[in-house]
Amino acid sequence: MGIETENKEIEDSIRDEAKKLLSENQVDVVIGYSQGTVPLSSTMVIIRKEEDVDKLVWNNLCYINLARYLAPLMPQLCDSEGKPLKIGIVAKGCVGRAINMLAVEKQINLENIKMIGINCNGNVNRSKIDLEIGEKEILDVSISGDDIIVKGKDWEKKFPYDQYINELCKICQVKSPSATGETCVGECQEIESIHDEFADIDDFEAKSTEEKWEDIKNSLEVCTLCYSCRQACPVCYCNLCFVDQNLPIWFGKTTNYTDIFTFHLIRATHIAGRCVACGACSSVCPVGIDLNIITRKLEKIVKERFDFTSGLNAETLPPMMDFKMEDEEEFMLEED
Amino acid sequence: MTETVLEKKVDEKWEPKIIAFLCNWCSYAGADLAGVSRIQYPPNIRIVRVPCSGRVNPYFIIKSLTDGWDGVVVSGCHPGDCHYISGNLVARRRFAILKELLEFFGIEPGRVNFMWASAAEGERFAVLIRKATKIVKELGPNTKFQKEW
Amino acid sequence: MEQKILKKDEIGKLYKEFESEYNFYAPISQKGNIVFEKIENPEDIVLDYLNSKIPPKSVLFPQMEVLFEYTLDEKDVEITDRQDLDQKILIFGIRPCDAYSFELMANFFSFHGNWEDEIYLKKKENTTLIGIGCNNPRTTCFCTSVGGNPFNKENMDVFLTDLGETYLVEGISEKGKEIVNKLSWLSDAADKDVKKSQELATQAEESIVTKMDTDKIVSNLETSFEHPVWEEISESCIGCGSCAYLCPTCTCFDVIDETDQYNNRGRRIRIWDTCQSCLYTLETSGHNPRNTKIQRCRNRIMHKFSYYPTNYDLLGCVGCGRCISVCPANNDLRTILDKIEKIEKEEDEKIVA
Repeated sequence: MGIETENKEIEDSIRDEAKKLLSENQVDVVIGYSQGTVPLSSTMVIIRKEEDVDKLVWNNLCYINLARYLAPLMPQLCDSEGKPLKIGIVAKGCVGRAINMLAVEKQINLENIKMIGINCNGNVNRSKIDLEIGEKEILDVSISGDDIIVKGKDWEKKFPYDQYINELCKICQVKSPSATGETCVGECQEIESIHDEFADIDDFEAKSTEEKWEDIKNSLEVCTLCYSCRQACPVCYCNLCFVDQNLPIWFGKTTNYTDIFTFHLIRATHIAGRCVACGACSSVCPVGIDLNIITRKLEKIVKERFDFTSGLNAETLPPMMDFKMEDEEEFMLEED
Repeated sequence: MTETVLEKKVDEKWEPKIIAFLCNWCSYAGADLAGVSRIQYPPNIRIVRVPCSGRVNPYFIIKSLTDGWDGVVVSGCHPGDCHYISGNLVARRRFAILKELLEFFGIEPGRVNFMWASAAEGERFAVLIRKATKIVKELGPNTKFQKEW
Repeated sequence: MEQKILKKDEIGKLYKEFESEYNFYAPISQKGNIVFEKIENPEDIVLDYLNSKIPPKSVLFPQMEVLFEYTLDEKDVEITDRQDLDQKILIFGIRPCDAYSFELMANFFSFHGNWEDEIYLKKKENTTLIGIGCNNPRTTCFCTSVGGNPFNKENMDVFLTDLGETYLVEGISEKGKEIVNKLSWLSDAADKDVKKSQELATQAEESIVTKMDTDKIVSNLETSFEHPVWEEISESCIGCGSCAYLCPTCTCFDVIDETDQYNNRGRRIRIWDTCQSCLYTLETSGHNPRNTKIQRCRNRIMHKFSYYPTNYDLLGCVGCGRCISVCPANNDLRTILDKIEKIEKEEDEKIVA
């Protein structure tokens, strides 16, 4: 069925489930997406009353990972007596994965969370569309049938949906949350593991060292180190980020390419095995950098070395929190 | 950054500067044994003693590269022999991720090396340091990752 | 006739007039983003742009700036101050809102006459602004609500109007009039050109859709420091700081000392900082007066629409709308100001200074 029809179904199911959960007092609040005030965007909304559930939408512009609001906000999401609120959260697959990761790392208590699972059909790639339209103001973006319709003052352009969604959405295999029945209402599944050949990363890795350096430099050069990617990431919840440490200062925050490169490299080592491939980092970047190859590489490393995919359940420890005597060490320097 | 790696190699006198993080209980003692036994190995390494290879934070390795060090070596006890039981096992996973990511981002794979060397393996320590120095020397000076002012 | 005409294919010729004497900055497209950079090739200049991604404050107040450098020599320390502050700068193709932002920045960097940031002020002294009017303001622009106008020529030295095939050139300040005289090869403007530019100006002003009652907002904010509306306003913010980085009037910076211990030298730099960062107000004692998101979001709005009007009689916003279009969480400034406008003031509320 067309994307437009799918969206209507998903939106209706979100509103129905939210209404049900609120009316049966299973949750105190529902966190979801609401219509954005600027084209190509959506905003987060906290629904507290049944009458407001119609503010919840699903329109392929829901690129923020809602789990990002959970870890830092949990202490504040308490009622007047200090008891934690029960939270309902609209969960596309990657949001569900992030919630599982946060639960494994003991940042949230799954008993207080109810995921409203949906079968996500992807999110529009904002920077790709912006780049194609250029310096003309976009006034409206909508989905019609299987096309993205972008309108300006006196012009209109159509884009085929499946080519203009986020790169990570194109190859996503966890479209609805992987969770057990208790935590999730709506669409959900139980996935044991994912099968992925990572052909795109193999292609990139076949390049020479110099080519890889140049490609990544080309991509990251325009970074303004605004840290939106870090703020939007659901698993970046440290109270003091490594780049903000000043006793001592480890790494600079200047616009010198070495500093930019170091930030992205070290952030990648910190989220290795925890990244849920939601693509929020690329979607929120104000200068349109696409960080999806880094995300894919991280997924490849943990899948091939440790047979692990993040966020499929709330029990398995991520690889960096664990170790085995039999770990592979083919990369170690050995005598000839 | 105008000279290519090839041009730099012509300057035969250039020697790489390699920083080595050695764990106190095994590798540092192994280096000491190599010295006492008068086993020759290249003088390019500067040693930093750490209590365990698990103490080595990826920050140390990356900061060394941005400061201008040409190579990094991290050495610890063999798996199963760690003085703190599992420090080197934790470190092994960290090194695996770091090595793959460094290579992916375009840093020459030979610049950062990890090895195991016990307190009784003076000869092995010297052999591996010789090997690491040779690899880094062939790669040339670390110009592209060093922070320019 | 005072006004002149510049043909669109004569921009290269204009560039050549200035390139030897000035550092010539103009909007170029960098991977799809319009930014102000030093031009080497006039073909790169993009003048029919909506507004730049990174505001032109980056020319005089760059993201990373060296304050001074030092070298260590046995026992002596030798400090080298900035040597390049006398270089003349020309910013070409700047919009009226951004030109006005330089006035607000001058207020900050001279601390209302009490102290002077030499580096910024010296550079500003040596800067000439050649601006261009906005024929098609965006729906997110609201310069008319904050005392501006899409054809405001006040803060420019020379003003261009895009007439379609040509630009109308007007010298505004003394410096600007001298420049226009020097460009003797410019043809004179005809009456119809001037008339068209006036029509475009009126059209542009009328096409602005976002309007707000800033007087009421300023007045409401005086008594709304503890109002529960701030909870609602700050809900969706993710604390990234994009709004501050891309705001033409945000001037907060962090000062960092960097050392190169292997070469016995160091430097003091300043980099952009944002009040939305949770560490912004962290004190050495460990106390943080603004450690919740609500306080930080509130601070940003109060700074621009309450503290600035109270202390300097100026609105701290130029209405460019960048924060609205770039916010990743779509925390729209227009919605925020709308909520504040609608606060019902109660009878005898204390004014919180």
